[in-house]
Amino acid sequence: MTQLPTPGATPAAPPPAEPLPTAAPVRPRWRETLGLLARNPTAAVSAVVLVLIVLVAVFDETLAPDGPNEQDPSLQLQPPSWAHPFGTDEFGRDVFSRVILGAATSLRVGFLSVAFALVVGTLIGLLAGFYGTWVDDVLMRLMDVLFAFPAVLLAIAIVAIRGAGPANAILAIGIVYVPIFARVTRASVLGVREEVYVRASRSVGASDWRLITRHVLPNAAPPIIVQTSVSLAFAVLAEAALSFLGLGPRRPDPSWGLMLADGRGFIEQAWWYAVFPGLAIVVTVLCFNLLGDGLRDVLDPRQRTLMAGSGR
Amino acid sequence: MRTNRLLPLAAAAALLVTACGGGGESVDTGGGGGGGGDNVLVAAVSAEPDQFDPHVTNAYASFQVLENVYDTLVVPSAEDLTMQPSLAESWTTSDDGLSWTFTLRDGVTFHDGSEFDSADVVYSFKRIIDEELSNAYRFATVSDVTAPDPRTVVVTLTRPTPNLLELIGSFKGMAIVSENAADELDLQSEANGTGPFQLESSDANATVLTTFDDHWGGAPSIDGVEFRYITEPTAALTALRNGEIQWTDNVPPQNVADLEGDEEVELGSVTSVEYFYMSMNYAVPPFDNRDVRRAIATAIDRDEVTQAARFGAAQPNQTAIPEGSPFFLEYAPFTPDQDAARQLLEQAGVQTPITMGLMVTDEYPETVAAAQVIASQLEPVGIDVEIQEEDFATWLDRQSEGDFDAFMLSWIGNIDPADFYENQHLSTGGSNYQGYSNPQVDDLLTRAATEPDQAARKALYDQAAQLIVDDVSYLYLYNPDEVQAWAPGLTGYQVRADSAIDFANVELP
Repeated sequence: MTQLPTPGATPAAPPPAEPLPTAAPVRPRWRETLGLLARNPTAAVSAVVLVLIVLVAVFDETLAPDGPNEQDPSLQLQPPSWAHPFGTDEFGRDVFSRVILGAATSLRVGFLSVAFALVVGTLIGLLAGFYGTWVDDVLMRLMDVLFAFPAVLLAIAIVAIRGAGPANAILAIGIVYVPIFARVTRASVLGVREEVYVRASRSVGASDWRLITRHVLPNAAPPIIVQTSVSLAFAVLAEAALSFLGLGPRRPDPSWGLMLADGRGFIEQAWWYAVFPGLAIVVTVLCFNLLGDGLRDVLDPRQRTLMAGSGR
Repeated sequence: MRTNRLLPLAAAAALLVTACGGGGESVDTGGGGGGGGDNVLVAAVSAEPDQFDPHVTNAYASFQVLENVYDTLVVPSAEDLTMQPSLAESWTTSDDGLSWTFTLRDGVTFHDGSEFDSADVVYSFKRIIDEELSNAYRFATVSDVTAPDPRTVVVTLTRPTPNLLELIGSFKGMAIVSENAADELDLQSEANGTGPFQLESSDANATVLTTFDDHWGGAPSIDGVEFRYITEPTAALTALRNGEIQWTDNVPPQNVADLEGDEEVELGSVTSVEYFYMSMNYAVPPFDNRDVRRAIATAIDRDEVTQAARFGAAQPNQTAIPEGSPFFLEYAPFTPDQDAARQLLEQAGVQTPITMGLMVTDEYPETVAAAQVIASQLEPVGIDVEIQEEDFATWLDRQSEGDFDAFMLSWIGNIDPADFYENQHLSTGGSNYQGYSNPQVDDLLTRAATEPDQAARKALYDQAAQLIVDDVSYLYLYNPDEVQAWAPGLTGYQVRADSAIDFANVELP
């Protein structure tokens, strides 16, 4: 791939009577990013697996052979077989179906909590980084306070106050990750804020809103995107931890962490009960992490030039 | 009595600790001794005693220890739980049934060397009555306790009380302490009993008993008992296999089948007098409707519940009292049938689906397991069960405030039918949280309580039990097995249906 701008499918079209293209043409850039990502095998495989997991989560009820609480007492703790590829649990429920149905729970909590952290954290980071002075001080000290708590402990405390359940788990994990996004965004914004194109735009009278949305945020975004992927991994893990401790979804709703907790008591008789939900957690978390690593490489301008230049 | 229900549940507490390691010790047990000395029995129990005052505590963990430290006037036999002489050698009842005369055993000494006599009995009973301690209700019909001479105690009653022996002897909550013990000792942490072992020390790791050489029944052959607390059943089992402990009642139910052929572990099991039940709130519609309750009782398949919750180590039962008890009533009016259940709901005129919150507690994990089976059985008949898993303190609060649709738990350690029914099903019963009120049942139970003829008494209780089952005051589920495990070669120990743990005759290999 070249570094030349290739605007859309009509490269031959003469430049219309429009403002000059901006320094960072949006569409080609993300295409190029995807192309670079596709050439990183680990990241590409991770992305594909994640897409599959998301599809499984979306079509869970169609894909799962059994319902979440469909019991058959005659099939208590059966080992994996063709009928039950992941075996059955102490109620004779199909572990395979429950792992599939648990994907939706885990991903929903993961995505929604990270979305919450992303929106709130990025906003706080933007304001703090862009305006500086006392706004920065107040907001970032607040974030420091949140940061001072160990993440899972803070989440447990929030759930303990608000009560167990998926909605509160989302809120708890979301709050825990707000300061991380705020810090990453602020650091990135501090660098971008002083760039020439921002100062130029400001000098011709652009409003703060326009500066932030058109110049600062797009150029500060790469680290935030990487952070999102990495945070998704942690959020899925945190959801599993909260569920394991009985602070997430309620039984009999399927949840990987809850299945892990229940299966642990049967590890001597039925290894499959805990192992398959555990594997589901491992694979999901690993993929989010590897994708995050890949994105980090691809979105880093220096790395990017290197990768593009070397043709790899 | 709720207290007493704390026990076997903990045995199923399979969720909280890792499966490996019972404390990181690796002890070379050359000869079967544990960490406690060559001839000391090391026993693993699931919980730490809260205190050692037998008249105050309600915790089963305390009674596991106190069983070996104190005696009662009479004691349930290990075989069939009938009342046998202990500190009282014999007793007679007056013709009107209003006065019981107990002749006390001679040559009994307390751990501090003092002689046991009738003044100790009068002191112990009056302490419970006058200070209104935990078991004062067991003396509800007692008007006086007197000691005409050192070997005789007379209990006078306001009305005939045929089950007086069960009331004063069924567990160590009615223990005989030495006269003025509460003034001379701190009974919370000290003890002066007549039992085969003396309380030596207790801390956060273990409670240690030493053998009392002057015990009236002969000194035990072992030098003492060390109770260690191991919450996680899998860890207790591992410790037993490693020889760190020689006995435990903390056996994971899912391991029972495997253990039966295991040469490293001896397994003992009896059907206990404990029963698990579900109870619905009469104050919350539509559960005030008898047909709705009967529909639920018809939809539930007790065999499936028992299999998932206990892996078969239990007897499904539609009444409270287990088979084998002289008061067992063979009565099973409900056959699992979802169509019949749907019909009953229709007949009741309720709009399905109904939502029913079912309150359980992770302190007793088998209630959580059973609730999931019940949820799956009720769903097809149009009842959505929302499983509400609470910590036990919250659970108890909600129970006593009546803040529930339905809950599930167990009662343990009951021997006499009065214990099974009065507190739970009398309109005025202290544990009638469901709000059951049936004048016929009240009348039957009241008459049964004073009926001296055993056969007539059983007939009255049978009638009451049938009404209780038919009305679904309690939805009885099963009697769990009391399962205990010990090292091969340990002899002289017997698993008891009342879950009492008596180490007096144990011999180590």
